[in-house]
Amino acid sequence: MNAPPLAVDDLAKRYGPVRALAGVSFSVEAGEVFGYLGPNGAGKTTTLRIILGLVHASAGGVTVFGGAPADPRTRREIGYLPGEMRLYGEMTGGRLLDYFAGFRNAGPPVLRARLLAALGLEPPDLARRVKFLSHGTRQKIGLVIAMQHDPQLLLLDEPTTGLDPLVQKAFRDLVLEFAARGRAVFFSSHVLSEVEAVCGRVAILRAGKLVAVESVDDLRARMLRRLEVRFGGDAPLDLGTVAGVARTEVEGKDARLWIRGDVNPVLRRIAREEVERFVFPEAELEDIFLTYYRGGG
Amino acid sequence: MRNLLRRLAGRYGLFLGVAAAVMAGFEFVICAVVSSIDVPALFAELMKSVPQVMKDLVGQYIGGFGPADLLAFGWNHPVALAIGGAVAVVLASRAVAGEIEAGTLELVLSQPISRGRYFAGQVAFAAAALAVLSLAGAAATFAGERLYGLDALGTRSLLLLAANFFLLQAAWFGVTLLVSVFGREAGRVAFAGFLVALLSYLIQVIAEIWPKAAFLRPYSPNAYYDPRVIIKTGALPAGSVAVLAGIAVAGAALSFWRFKRRDIP
Repeated sequence: MNAPPLAVDDLAKRYGPVRALAGVSFSVEAGEVFGYLGPNGAGKTTTLRIILGLVHASAGGVTVFGGAPADPRTRREIGYLPGEMRLYGEMTGGRLLDYFAGFRNAGPPVLRARLLAALGLEPPDLARRVKFLSHGTRQKIGLVIAMQHDPQLLLLDEPTTGLDPLVQKAFRDLVLEFAARGRAVFFSSHVLSEVEAVCGRVAILRAGKLVAVESVDDLRARMLRRLEVRFGGDAPLDLGTVAGVARTEVEGKDARLWIRGDVNPVLRRIAREEVERFVFPEAELEDIFLTYYRGGG
Repeated sequence: MRNLLRRLAGRYGLFLGVAAAVMAGFEFVICAVVSSIDVPALFAELMKSVPQVMKDLVGQYIGGFGPADLLAFGWNHPVALAIGGAVAVVLASRAVAGEIEAGTLELVLSQPISRGRYFAGQVAFAAAALAVLSLAGAAATFAGERLYGLDALGTRSLLLLAANFFLLQAAWFGVTLLVSVFGREAGRVAFAGFLVALLSYLIQVIAEIWPKAAFLRPYSPNAYYDPRVIIKTGALPAGSVAVLAGIAVAGAALSFWRFKRRDIP
């Protein structure tokens, strides 16, 4: 297979007067975990549905291993986890796994046992009707449905929703293992830290348009991150001159700094003062958008 | 597709079993009633005291008071029509709109199954379900006739009756499926399907009893489901087959055309 696992070219989708996507282009290579990052409503799920042939594009195109997504032979290579995991409530977990495996006529699903163990799904979970299972357990079953046949291309829409931190870690390890075996993974999320943890490259989507496609390392280096400090006395006025500080807001004892790249020069400067409170939160999507909309990109 | 059919059988098995049992039970009870009382004398007595409009209605609907007429009436009774209509409308409304409402169609169609095969699976299952329902009714009438010694309908007439019943319900399935492929909520689609079937029935009844409305009769699909004709002639009119099958096929074809093009969900 010489064609890339996933190629999206100038994709657009309109719902009447509403523009859901415009000019979206990227490709995902084999062995890569590709992040697709954007706030809720940015168009991530619409992109995924077009990739699967569920939604028809208004313009542009998608190929999966060079084939059309609407072709069932193409979808044989795909594993998909929807953002809103809805399953047949009257079926047991075990029957559901068999039901979805049955669409492939490809023998027993090769990864099922390993996935069940890694995600902590026990036989009693699989023996109960889905409608009686917790949201997290349903999400795990959805992950097994998506991955059990060892697909060449894995499409994940907000995959860690409802999973506890330990299972999230196990899941991330599985995704990285998939990529290490040459599978392509398309990882859609609105949680920056999650994408940072597993993805090599990332596309950033806002209001249906791509803001950037770049490596996670480059993104980290360019990203503005916010730091909040309350000093013992008035905040020093020279904070804006410290290396890496792109912007400051100072008011009495409080200072808010936006930093790009290495944080050590700022930390050394702050350490010379008496500090009452120091907050350096996880970067969020809004910080990324600030990076691109305030001249940081 | 076998996979899909198995799931549908599991999902609707109980519902269809109950519907078929009620249908069969109803037709069997009709046989028991016809055999246990002197129906012609009873109706003649009743007719003396009812208004002319009721006499017309009964006359048009039943045609006569012999055992065969009354058994045929059992197949055109609102209970039988409601059972058949319920199965047709429920299956059609859930085939697309119901799956979208439940949020399951997205995951199913992301699997290696074409929309065509999914759609064909739904239609094939509904056809089989309606055939089972029709044959259950026919088998019950056959058994009731034998048990009570009625010997009123021949096997051929009974099978034609069941075929006519099947075609009417297939028409309702086709019409409701067409609504279903545009919809997102099974309840609303089912309501629309039932409403169309009910209107068709009422139009036929009104056209039968009110001469000024007789011109409406050809516009009701129920007009092409006429057990009396089968009993009298021993044949299912080709025109009735063409109209009912035409509605069913056109409904399914237009539904498929739309289903191929619509966004999911």
